[in-house]
Amino acid sequence: MKKFVALLLTAALILSVVSFASAEGNVLGVMLGTNVMSLDTNLATDGDSFEVIADCIDGLMQMDKDGAAVPAIAESYDLSEDGLTYTFHLRDAKWNNGAAVTANDFVFAWRRIAKEAGEYAYMLDEIGNIKGAAEIISGKTDDLTTLAVSAPDEKTLVVELTVPVSFFPSLMYFATFYPINEEFYNSLADGMYGTSPETFLSNGAFILESYTPGTANLTLKKNPDYWDADRVKLDGITYQVVGSSDNALTAFRNKTLDVVMISGNQVDAAKKDASLAENLKVTGAGYLWYLSFSQTEKNAQGGMLANANLRLAISNAIDRDNLVDNYVMDGSLATYTAVPPQFAASSTTGEDFSADQGAFADYVGYNPEKAAEYFEAAKAELGKDSFSFTMIYGNNEGDEVQKVAQAIKEDVEAALPGVEINLQSMTKTERVDKMQNDNYDIALTRWGPDYADPMTYLGMWITNNSNNYGFWSNAEYDQLIADCTTGAYITDYDARWAAMFKAEEIVMKEAVIAPLYTKANANLITAGVEGIDFHPVALNRVYKDTTK
Amino acid sequence: MIKYTLKRVGMAVLTLLIITFLLFVLVRIVPGNPFPSERMSAEQIANKRAEMGLDDPIMTQFFRYLGNALHGDFGKGTSLYYGAPISTVLSTAISNSFRIGGLAVLWGSLVGLVLGITAALHRGKFLDGFCTVVSILGVCVPSYVFLIFLQYTFAFKIPFFPYFFDSSRFLFSSVIPSLSLSLFTTSTIARFTRNEMVEVFDSDYVRLAEAKGMYGRGLVMKHVLRNALIPIVTVLAPLIVDLLTGALVVEKIYGINGIGKLMVDAIAGEGIDYNYVLALGILYSALYIGIMLLVDLLYGVLDPRIRVSSGKKEA
Repeated sequence: MKKFVALLLTAALILSVVSFASAEGNVLGVMLGTNVMSLDTNLATDGDSFEVIADCIDGLMQMDKDGAAVPAIAESYDLSEDGLTYTFHLRDAKWNNGAAVTANDFVFAWRRIAKEAGEYAYMLDEIGNIKGAAEIISGKTDDLTTLAVSAPDEKTLVVELTVPVSFFPSLMYFATFYPINEEFYNSLADGMYGTSPETFLSNGAFILESYTPGTANLTLKKNPDYWDADRVKLDGITYQVVGSSDNALTAFRNKTLDVVMISGNQVDAAKKDASLAENLKVTGAGYLWYLSFSQTEKNAQGGMLANANLRLAISNAIDRDNLVDNYVMDGSLATYTAVPPQFAASSTTGEDFSADQGAFADYVGYNPEKAAEYFEAAKAELGKDSFSFTMIYGNNEGDEVQKVAQAIKEDVEAALPGVEINLQSMTKTERVDKMQNDNYDIALTRWGPDYADPMTYLGMWITNNSNNYGFWSNAEYDQLIADCTTGAYITDYDARWAAMFKAEEIVMKEAVIAPLYTKANANLITAGVEGIDFHPVALNRVYKDTTK
Repeated sequence: MIKYTLKRVGMAVLTLLIITFLLFVLVRIVPGNPFPSERMSAEQIANKRAEMGLDDPIMTQFFRYLGNALHGDFGKGTSLYYGAPISTVLSTAISNSFRIGGLAVLWGSLVGLVLGITAALHRGKFLDGFCTVVSILGVCVPSYVFLIFLQYTFAFKIPFFPYFFDSSRFLFSSVIPSLSLSLFTTSTIARFTRNEMVEVFDSDYVRLAEAKGMYGRGLVMKHVLRNALIPIVTVLAPLIVDLLTGALVVEKIYGINGIGKLMVDAIAGEGIDYNYVLALGILYSALYIGIMLLVDLLYGVLDPRIRVSSGKKEA
C-alpha cells in the first residue's frame, strides 16, 4: 500500500511540472461558439470560419477598426471613369511556403467560387456584379475564362463589372474573395485543402499551427513573414469551441480563455459581480431578428396576412423593449427599421443609415391603441373577427428565441383580442425550408448583413427574390431597388442613399416584416487585453492590433 | 470450428448490409433539405443535387454508395466540414474516441476486477459493502455528471488538469474524460465479478479443490476467476463498444474531437448532415456487429461446450 501511495505521489509530481493553462504568455485564448466548418475560403459560410480564415489570409482589402475598407494585399486600386473596371495593384507579399502572392491567386480563387457555386457565390454575381459570374454560377457555361477577372501581370488584377457597385472595395475584405495559391491547391488531393496546417497556406497575420476538421481546439501562431508583421503584437491565438455558456464563464474565470461570449441571463449576474463587471463588453452582432408574414392565399387562413392593416396591428402590438430587456438581455437593440442600425454608414456623411430609429414611428412601435385601430380596420376589410395563426421559430438558434416567441404571442393576444398565435418549434433548417416552400403563417427569423450596404437587407423584398419569404410584391419598390442597383442612381451616391430610404419606408408602411431587435454579443474580455476590433458585418473579430 | 466461424462471419456481413440499406433509405426519406441555403438559387441547388446524383433512382444511389464505401469513400458533408472527405474527418475522430475509450476500458475493467475480487473475498464484511456502494454509485451517476464534477474540481478549483481537451497533450488531457467514462464499466464489472465469483466459490468443484488442499491465490486465479470470466466477457463486450464509440455528451462538453461529438454535431447543428449521420450509423453498427462476432468466437475458445452445441442452439 505504501508503495502504491509513493507511486501516486511521484506521478502527481511529474504531471505538475507540465504547463496547464492554454492562454498564457502573449497568446490570446478565444472562445468559438461553433466548430470551424471550413478553412477553404471558397466554401466557408459561417462567421467563426471567416474569422479564423481572416486571421491567416489577407484579401485585397481589409477592415479598419470602424469597418471601412483599407488596402491589404492591394496597395492601391484605380476605378475606370464609367465605374465598371477596377484595377488592383498588389504589394509584395508572401505565402508561408515562400511563394509570392500574385494576381493569379485571385483569378484562380474567384473562378473556383463561380465553379463551386456554393452559398456565397452570389457575392460574385448578384452583389459584386462581376461580368460573366452569373452564367458560370447558374451552370449555363463551364468556361471559367469567361469570368471577367484577369491578371495582365503578376502584380495587377483587373476586374470588370456589369454595373457600377459603389461598395465593391468593401466586398474585398469578405473571406469569400480571398486568394488561393493555385499550384499549392493543385498539389493536394481532392477535398484536402484547408484540412490541416500542412494543407493550408497563410499570407496573413497568423499561421495555422494545429487544426483538423471537427477539432474543438485550434491554434495559430504569428506569421513572421507577414507583409505587415510589425503591426501584429500577439504571438498566437488559441481558439476553443465551447458548447455551453456556463462552461465559457468558468473557462474565463480560471483564465483558460481571454475572450468569451456569455448568454443574456448571465449578463445580469456578470454586471453584479465586481470581478466580472469591468470585463463585460457588448458588441453588435449585426443580425436583425424580425417577423416574416406569409401573404399568399395558401397560408394564414386563406391569405389573411396579405392585409396590411392586420400586419401593422401585429407589429404595433409587440413591446420590443420588453423583449431585449427581459428575454434577450445581452445588450441587443430594440429595432424599428427594416435595415438594422450599426452596420451601414454613408460614405459621404458618415451617418448610420438607420441612426433614426423613430423614422417610421407611424407604422412600427409599441402602441397597443394604434394596434387596436389597425386591427379594427383589418377586421372591417376582411369581414372577420377572429384569427388563428401559427408562428414558427428555431429551437437551435439560441436559448432566448423560445422566450421571445412566447412574449410575442402574449403581447399580440393581449393587444388584439380575437387573434390566436400558436407556437411551433423546429430546427433552423426546417424553419428555413418551410419559409422557402411558403408553408408557414408567421416566422420568427433573422438575417445578418453580408456587406456594409443597406441593400444587403432591402434587396430581399423585391418581387420573386428567394429571400422574399412573404411573397410580397410592390412595383414602386421594385423600381426603386432597380434604380439603386442597376439603374439611374448607381453613380449618384446621395440620390441612391435617399432612394433606399424611400424603399425602406414602403416596407415599413406596409409592415412587410415586423423588425424586432438587432442582436448583440455580450463578451467578457480579460483585463489588459486591448485592441480587438469588433464588427457586425463580414468579420466579427479582428486581432491584428490586439495586445495582451 | 471453421464452419462455425464462417457461418458467424457470413451472418455478420449480411446484417451489416441490411442495416446499411435501411439507414440509406431512412436518411433519404427523412424530410429536410440536404442543401439548406438562404443564398443559393433554385438553379444552383438543382445543379448540386444532380452533381451528387440525388435525382437518380434510390437503388442506383445505394449501389453507388456501397461501391464507394467499400473503397473507404463516404462522400463529403453537406452541412458539416464541407469540402473535406468524410473518411478523413472520421479517421481523426475514431482515433481520438478509441484512444480515450481504450483508456476507459482498461481503467474500468482493471479497477472493476480488483473491486469485484476484493468484495468476493471479503463477502459480508466492510470491504464488500464499500465495493457495493461504489458500484451502485457508478451505475447511477451518468458519466457526464461525473465529468462536470471532475472538470470543476480538478481543472477549475484545483487547476491541475486542462479545462478542455487539448490534443497536443493527449494523455494528460485524457485523464478526466476517460475516468468519467470508465465509471460505469468499473461498477458493472465489479458487480458481475463479485456475484460470479461468489457463485463459483459455492460450487462443488471449488469445494473439491479446497478439500484437495488448494487455497489462496492459486485457487482464486485457476478455478474461481477463470470460470467467472465467461459471463463477464458477455457484459464487457457491449460496454467496450459504448466506450469506443465515445459518450456523446462527454465528448461534447470536454471538447473532444471524437465520433460522439461528431454525431451530436451532425444531428444537432443548424441542419442535419445526412452523409455524416449515414457514415456514423454504419460505423456504429459495424462496431457492434464486429464486437459481438468476436465475443461469439471467443466463447468457443473459453468454453468448448458452446461451440459443440452451436449447431442446434445459438450462443
